[in-house]
Formats: sequence, C-alpha cells, structure tokens
Amino acid sequence: MPSESMPHEKRSEQYSRRKFLAGSGAVAGASIAGCLGGGGGGGSDTVKIGFVLPFSGTYSFLGESIVNGVKLRLDQQLGGEIDGRTVEYIRQDTGADPATGASITQEFLQSENVDFIVGPVSSAVAGAMKPEIASAGSAIWLNANAGNYKLVQDNCTRYHFRTSFNTWQTSAPLASYVKDNIADNVVLSYANYTFGQQSKNLFQEAFEEAGGTVVDEIGAPLGTSDYSSFLQEIENSGADAVFSFFAGSDAVNYIKQFSSFGLNEKMTQTGSGFLLSADTLPAQGKAALGMYSLLHYTPTKQSDRNQAFVEAYSGQYDTTPNVYACQGYDSGLAAEMAVKEAGGTDTDSMASGLAGKELDSPRGYFKFKSSTHDPIMDMDVRQVVEADGGGVQNEVVETLSQVEGPTWGCSL
Amino acid sequence: MVLDGIAKTALLGVEMGMTLVLVTVGLTLIFGMMDVINFAHGSLYMLGAYFGLTVVSVTGNWWAALLIAPLLVGLLGGLIEYFSIRPLYGRNPLYHILLTFGFAIMLHGLVTEIWGGQVQNISTPALLDGSVDLVLFSYPLFRLFLLGVSIAVTAALWLAIRQSDFGIVMRASAHDSEMVNALGTDVKRVFTAVFVLGSVLAGLAGVLLGTSQAVDPGMAASIIIQAFAIVVIGGLGSYRGAVVGAFIVGMLNAFGPTFAPQFTDALLYLLMAAVLLVKPAGLFGNPEAT
Repeated sequence: MPSESMPHEKRSEQYSRRKFLAGSGAVAGASIAGCLGGGGGGGSDTVKIGFVLPFSGTYSFLGESIVNGVKLRLDQQLGGEIDGRTVEYIRQDTGADPATGASITQEFLQSENVDFIVGPVSSAVAGAMKPEIASAGSAIWLNANAGNYKLVQDNCTRYHFRTSFNTWQTSAPLASYVKDNIADNVVLSYANYTFGQQSKNLFQEAFEEAGGTVVDEIGAPLGTSDYSSFLQEIENSGADAVFSFFAGSDAVNYIKQFSSFGLNEKMTQTGSGFLLSADTLPAQGKAALGMYSLLHYTPTKQSDRNQAFVEAYSGQYDTTPNVYACQGYDSGLAAEMAVKEAGGTDTDSMASGLAGKELDSPRGYFKFKSSTHDPIMDMDVRQVVEADGGGVQNEVVETLSQVEGPTWGCSL
Repeated sequence: MVLDGIAKTALLGVEMGMTLVLVTVGLTLIFGMMDVINFAHGSLYMLGAYFGLTVVSVTGNWWAALLIAPLLVGLLGGLIEYFSIRPLYGRNPLYHILLTFGFAIMLHGLVTEIWGGQVQNISTPALLDGSVDLVLFSYPLFRLFLLGVSIAVTAALWLAIRQSDFGIVMRASAHDSEMVNALGTDVKRVFTAVFVLGSVLAGLAGVLLGTSQAVDPGMAASIIIQAFAIVVIGGLGSYRGAVVGAFIVGMLNAFGPTFAPQFTDALLYLLMAAVLLVKPAGLFGNPEAT
C-alpha cells in the first residue's frame, strides 16, 4: 500500500531538502567560480537523483513502485551513501503529460544539477525528455520503464541506460516458444496505441520468421472496458492461440471476459508479460489459469537472488514487489555501479563506466549492451498456475537466456 | 454459423446498452429536474464499485455488497446535494459544473489514497459464475443477470415516473418548480430525493460492473464520457432518451468491431455529431426547454 511508504517518503524528502539548502551555498559559490566540468552534481560529496515519474493519475502506482525500488537499494541496503557520498532525492510529478516531463527534466538538469534522472513510466514522456537529456549531457538517464524501441532507434544518446526493457524483448522472443510448444497459427489482439502496435508487429515478425501463420489481428481502443464483441472476432478467427498486448485495467477486463465467454477452452492465450503480471493477477484470478506470458521479472522466480529481494522489499513496504519495483531497484544498482566505476559523479565517466557492465539484479544478471545501452537479460516464459493460498501466480516454465534484441542502427 | 454470430452480438448489444442505462438515467434525471450537469456522477459509480469491494472483503458476501454499497453511495449523494449543490440552485449552471467537476477530482484522489491505484476486481458470486447454453451459443450467466437487473430497474423506474405520486411530483417539478412549490410541495426535498435516487443507481451499476470489469481509479472518467455522449444523443433530461440512447450505443459497441474495427473509438462521437446535426436537442429532447 502506498500509505505504508508515506512516512518514510516524507522523512527522506525533508531530509534531502534540508541537506540541499545547506549545500546550496557551496554550490552557488562553485558555480560562480565557473568550473564544474562535465559533471552535474549537487556538490562533490553527494549523489543527486531526480525522479521524473507519475505520482498522480492512472500510473501513480507505478511511479511509487519505482521510487520504492530505488530507495530499497540506496537507502535501506547502502545506508543512503554510495562510496561515501550522500544520496539525495528530488521528485516531481509528470502525470501522463510529455510536455510536463520535458520541463521537469529541464529544471532538474539546469537548476537542480541532478546526477541521475530516474523515469519516466510512459514512452511518450520519454520521447519528450530525450532531447533535453542528450543536449545537456550532465546527467545519466536511468530509464526505469519506458520500453519504446524507437528511443534507441532515432538519435540514440549515450546518457540513456534502460534499466527496464524494450518492446522487442517483451514480445518477439515469445514467438518461437509459442511456435514450438503451443500452436503454429495465432490471432493477435492488442490495445490500439503505440506500445500495443509495436508489441504486436514485433511478435508477428518473429512468429512468421519462425514459420508460423498469423490468421488475423484485432485492435481494441486503449481503455476499452467491454471486450465482448472483440472477443467474438477473436473466436471467429479460428486460431489455436492468441498473442496479446494489454496492460493494467485493460488486461484485467480482457482476460476476465476472455474466460467468461469460454474462449480459454478453445484457444491458448499468450502475451507480453504485462498482460498477466503481479499487479493484474489478483484481479484476474482463476480466469487467467493456464495462460502464458513473457517478462523480464517474475516475483515468484525461484532464485536466491530474487528471494532475497522479495524478502527485503516485503519487509520494508509490506507488499510484494512488482516488475516496476524491480526496475527501480535495478536503477539503484546502476546508480551505485556508475558512481563506483567513475569514482565520482562526472557524467561522461559514469556513462563509460556503465556501458557493458553487468548488474546483479533480482531478475538475474543483466548488462547494458555497449552499442545501445539497452539491457541484455534473461526473459522468463511464465504460465499462470494456482497458488498455495488459493489465488493464482506465475510459474516460470522456461528461461530464455541473455536475450539481446536488435540495435536499430544505434552504435554508441 | 452466421446466424448465431449475429444473434450473440445482438444480445451483447442489448446487454451493454441496458447496463449503461443504470448510469445514464441518473445523469439525465438530475439534469432534467435541476438543470445540474453532474460531472461527479462517474465518481459515484466508481465509489459504488469500491464500497462493494470493501463490503465483499469484510462480509464475504457479494449480495450484501449489492445491497449496502448503493445505499452508501445514495447517502453520500444526498450529503453532496444538501450541503453543496442546493445552495447553488438558480445560479449560473457553470457553478454546478465547476462544483461537481471539483468533486470528481477530489473523489479520484480520495479513492487512490484509500484503496490504492492498482487494478482490483469484485469476485463473481459462486451462484452467478459459469455460463448458460442458449441453444445457438453459450453466454456468461453473470452477464445475463446484469441484463435482467438492468431491465427490471429500468422498467420499475419507468412505471414509477409514469404512475406513482412521487413520479407525478417529479415531472411537475421538472416542468415548473415554482408552481409546485406554491402548491405546497417542498421542491427542494424532491430534488434531494432525485439526486439520491440517481446516486443509488450509479452505485448499483458500480457494484455490478465492478464485478464483470476492472475496478480502478480511472473507471469514473471512462464511464462519464460515454454516459454524457449517450445523454446528449437521447436528449438531455429525457428518461426515454437516456434509455434509447444507451440501447443504440450498446448496439454500436457490439457491432462496431465487426463492421468497422478501425473506427470503434470514433463511432460514438460520429453518431453524436450526426444526431446533433439533425436534431440539436437530441432524439427525445425538448427543443423549447431552457
């Protein structure tokens, strides 16, 4: 629950604000002296992290999860210090508005001198932030959720490090698994917006390459609450399996209705992992049983590293971590690695220090691909099974090792 | 094969349309009676779902939620009307729009704060789980129940408005509230009663749809837009218009993906534009009404 984390949030916010005020005199002096080099930084002995995330509206829950993940690593596990430098935070709410995201980014870079920018949730917001970060070159951008592959395709920047995933990774690698184990023909259903279209296209490409046939495709408007007539089209396609991209409440509505109309008895549902994630499964319940999905993080994954993370996170926040919390935690790991590698907060040294480096993430080892700074990581194919407590949960049925993905012409 | 497909889609359309009536009726009655455009109506619907969620988790009984949640929403609606909307009667309608819009924003924040932003769902009661074989096709039992409840409520309201004493007072107040007041009926109490009624219906829809659909803080905004479009198509203030409009939109939602898959999003608004061009007051609206 967000309320659980509130007292802690408040405390560290106040702490950082006081700390910042105390340090600002020194910073002002340094600025007048006029020589801060390539690095940003709120002072030589601090590391300043700016959260550019939604804290209101539909995605506020995702924003909070990411912040929780970052703070679990840096505050709880490292005691609020990296290499003897105190970690400070500043946060502002993007809502879901790209223009707001861009202006917050600009403010963080120019007036707040942040060393790291963590965020955003939405790819549209990320698109608006990118030119600011690329031209300033004074902070490392830890992209903790925006998966649009075009962020790397068009004018890729060396300051951008994806601590999350790209659209290709959460869709295309599932194609050969579906072809080999489930069906050689599928129908595609997706939320009709950029992310849904990208996932659908990337899956289709890979599925046809693997020798499968795409029978039909059905796009439903983002935010549809009743999918019944779309489901009829899916049923009429006669395909043996479905690949889908839906997320959040769309995923809940789609999956519940898919099963209530009995389609789960006629075809196998597969999809990008957001379709059947830790956030949506409690609401989807038994309607989700037997369905397959692909994601880079599964809270129920049986590995020591992950179980330690789940324990620490649940202990701190009184709720189990989701994929966004993991992406936040990995952003914390990346910030730690960057400062240690660079021996400070010089932005260019941190960028060189991070590229190609491997992080010990709860999702498994992952590293930033040198040419794109996208993650190379293990992807889990999961199936929904009954949980001991009576609910449902994902069970990893196969792990695709070190999934890399295309470079889209980016060569950093 | 073709026949059962069409039959099933038609049933879907009727079901989706009739369920929407529960939301649109309150909206249109409140406007028809008090000239109040209630932007918070979607939030009352959302609260119905969240109250339902809490009642189910406390009592473990879905039927208790179906009864208690709408009453709680009705109570809240009554308080909102009494303390905030009532002092503004007779003023510029913009005051009501701003006020209820403010409530919508506040309730959104409140719900996120209390219940969290994650997606939830009221689980279907065991009695209504599963599906029924309707010869040509099978259909989820819960959705048939939804259809049955909606039809029953719509018919009962229709009768009440047409036949009961309260219905007569309601219609009279909508027509000329000063005269009704002069004849010894306290119109303000009638207004409060209508607002409570609309709130109860929205709450009821919240519990019902919160069971077949996802419950999250975004549900208020998504229903209010559609509900307003329906009310405008049917004619603001017209009960018949709200029912017919919802029915048409239900059919549009059902058949849209089959015939115009790329335009499902726009169909509703195209229809609204077309209706307004031909009949600016909506299908059943009274062009002379102020």
